[in-house]
Amino acid sequence: MTATNEWAASHECEVLIIGSGAGGATTAAILAEAGHDVLIIEEGPWVDQGEVVPFSLEQMDRQYRSGGVTVALGVPSIAYTEGRCAGGGTEVNSGLYRRPPEQAIARWKSEYKIDDFDANGLLSICEEVEAQLTVQTVPGEHTRASEILRDGAAALGWQHDESPRWMSYPEGGRAVDGKRQSMTRTYLPRAFAAGARMLTEHRLVGLVMSGGGATGARLSATSTGVDQPVTITFKSVFVCGGAIQTPAILQRAGFRHRVGRTLAVHPTVKLAARFDENVNTPDDVPVFQVKEFAPGISFGGSASHPGLVALSLTDNWRDFGAAVTAWPELAIYYAAITSQGRGWVQAIPGVRDPIVTYRLTKRDRALLGQGLARLALLMLEAGAGEVYPSFKQAPLVRNRADLAKMTAAFAATKASVMTVHLCSTAPMGENHKRTATDSFGKVHGATNVWVNDAALLPDAPGVNPQASVMAIAIRNARRFADERAG
Amino acid sequence: MTDDGNTSMNQQLGTPDVTVVTGAGGWLGTGLVAAFLSDKHEYQRSGRLRLLVRDPADAVALRAASDRVEVVVGDISRADTALDLFRDLHDVDAVDVIHAAGIIHPNKMADFDAVNHQGTEHILRAAENAGVRRMVHVSSNSPFGTNADVADTFGHDEPFHPYFGYGRSKMDAELRVQAAVDRGLNVVMVRPPWFYGPHQPARQTTFFTMVRTGKFPVLGGGNQRRSMVFIDNLVEGIVRAELTPTAPGLAWWIADERPYTVSEIVETVGRALTDEGYDVQPNRLKLPNVVGDIAERIDAIFQRVDKYNQQFHVLGEMNKTIAVDISAAQRDLGYSPDVSLYAGMRRSIQWCHEQGIKL
Repeated sequence: MTATNEWAASHECEVLIIGSGAGGATTAAILAEAGHDVLIIEEGPWVDQGEVVPFSLEQMDRQYRSGGVTVALGVPSIAYTEGRCAGGGTEVNSGLYRRPPEQAIARWKSEYKIDDFDANGLLSICEEVEAQLTVQTVPGEHTRASEILRDGAAALGWQHDESPRWMSYPEGGRAVDGKRQSMTRTYLPRAFAAGARMLTEHRLVGLVMSGGGATGARLSATSTGVDQPVTITFKSVFVCGGAIQTPAILQRAGFRHRVGRTLAVHPTVKLAARFDENVNTPDDVPVFQVKEFAPGISFGGSASHPGLVALSLTDNWRDFGAAVTAWPELAIYYAAITSQGRGWVQAIPGVRDPIVTYRLTKRDRALLGQGLARLALLMLEAGAGEVYPSFKQAPLVRNRADLAKMTAAFAATKASVMTVHLCSTAPMGENHKRTATDSFGKVHGATNVWVNDAALLPDAPGVNPQASVMAIAIRNARRFADERAG
Repeated sequence: MTDDGNTSMNQQLGTPDVTVVTGAGGWLGTGLVAAFLSDKHEYQRSGRLRLLVRDPADAVALRAASDRVEVVVGDISRADTALDLFRDLHDVDAVDVIHAAGIIHPNKMADFDAVNHQGTEHILRAAENAGVRRMVHVSSNSPFGTNADVADTFGHDEPFHPYFGYGRSKMDAELRVQAAVDRGLNVVMVRPPWFYGPHQPARQTTFFTMVRTGKFPVLGGGNQRRSMVFIDNLVEGIVRAELTPTAPGLAWWIADERPYTVSEIVETVGRALTDEGYDVQPNRLKLPNVVGDIAERIDAIFQRVDKYNQQFHVLGEMNKTIAVDISAAQRDLGYSPDVSLYAGMRRSIQWCHEQGIKL
């Protein structure tokens, strides 16, 4: 059994899973292996790993929503990306793996009153995930862009480490030899082996509601280029569309309590740094992360193919544009913060995509500036001759005195703020004032509707969130299966 | 600026034949000179002291203190003052310089640059010409601004983000120091945050009075963190920076062991005052954060038109976190600040009492 994009007017299943990313794929595997009749629907296409170049423009076209970038409105607006393909974000992200911090687990448990939620249980699920995804550090040679982060941090005495990735490598393999162990290579095949079915290029139009229960789903099959209607009937449904689509789906089904009101992200600002040697590896991202100022501020490396290098220089193209011809000597790095701000996701009747807004607080805006300045200092220490900060009217930074000009000129409202970590739009827990679902993802007031993806995380964990999403999704799926077992 | 492997294990240098101290009539300078001259002080030293003061009245008192003291009256914003200060020191074997002169609350903005920046350059050039052994430049937290988050702490090395006119002038001074290092001068820097202790000026006395009368403006929740340094701890840091052989160009935060919250500072000062026999009113002046924001904006507007208002400047800074990590000084210099906030505040209050200052 594999995925299909072929049209049929109707389907039936016991459990419908909407979305096939880190939440949906794991839910499908656990439930199918427990004997449930599972059908997964996915809006995007199935693209095998290796079919497109990682971090390329072609990948943005085929595997991301809206060709790569969507914008959350606010001052400044925040650009974000969402995977839209079989496997979701796990197919296209950096593959950097971080366990949920114990501090975050304890905070979520106490502030949101999540039952049976403890670090030991989640971390033991993380161990399973790590084995399944062959989470490991790079056995062989690192990319130059990666070493720059390590060396700059070491020169400053800043704490840093290598983030492991869900990659497999040949014996002693280099960073660029890694094969991403995304959902299309791991949990989705596991689900299929246990009998799960999957429809790709099937976009959900809406859930059919009767009281607090969902009885069916209306979809459009899109593979032929003409939308063809499809109906699905089921007993239970798991919404796993990610932190933007999931709340929109719930709102359209009539669920509004704490849905889409508390979007949390890790806002990031970027710079490009130029060295006197070739440092750019277009199809890979650095694996070192700097945690000296964590959880408030973290530094890491970004995808840096020539198109993205050009994009990073556009905020001050007049002064910086000429550098793009030297793109092999440039690499892009980011400073990410844990934000005090929150955003809204709001479905609009008759419009396909929800409106997303996000408000950075005064402290968030200041912290982005402090983070970018420290990142620029690290680049100078690593030997960068020129640093190009990504904000309007940014000065070129060549030395420490220039850092003062940069910090004086910076305003978050002039920066290209973006994020890849979106969560917390349907938080889980028994604290009804703050949550949209119970402790295991069942939507408050619903009889058979669950959420099981990044929307459940009560706030942004301060680290790459995929491990947190997977561990919580597996925990919740097991609970669902256990409650229904003999 | 990285540590070249120097550690606190290094043998300390002996005290120099001549110690030049700028700003010797100021708060910090007075503390340094008192320590150097006192038989009982851990850091008393035997060589000559060449002291620069601006106020002739200070010169009289200092000359009377010891026959090892030579006093030069002048203004470091003038190049000839620096030449006077280093006159006849070329032939002395070991001369160290502690550059503690600076202006923090000036009458006009231009004084910041003239004294803190140009004045430092004059001292650096004169020290180079005199062939000094080692110089310690007293910098500040202000070239680095404030922490963007209450939980953030400045690391050993930070990007410049100067806080208004004072911060810019102290940053420019640091850049001059780095340039002098590149030319071959053996100069290092200490960066103290807000300091406190005996010999304090009137503005700090006002601080005690505000706490005693329950009128210290605590902004927001009072959970902002502030690093502070008791003057004796700062003297220790400066002397260790002078006498511990390290690579030139290094800079260290010199502060008390850890940052305090503003609430903790107010509470501790209140307790110290009570234990010294003062009648302390409970602090009632809790203001919303926005008051600090407004004061900061007024301060910025004043400074833009070349005016400086101490009240607005201090109030504007009160809702900020300025927290520093002293571990590099502990590692490189063996710095270990022994005096706690409570003990330091009690000594400051006792000093005020001895001087007949009414709190």
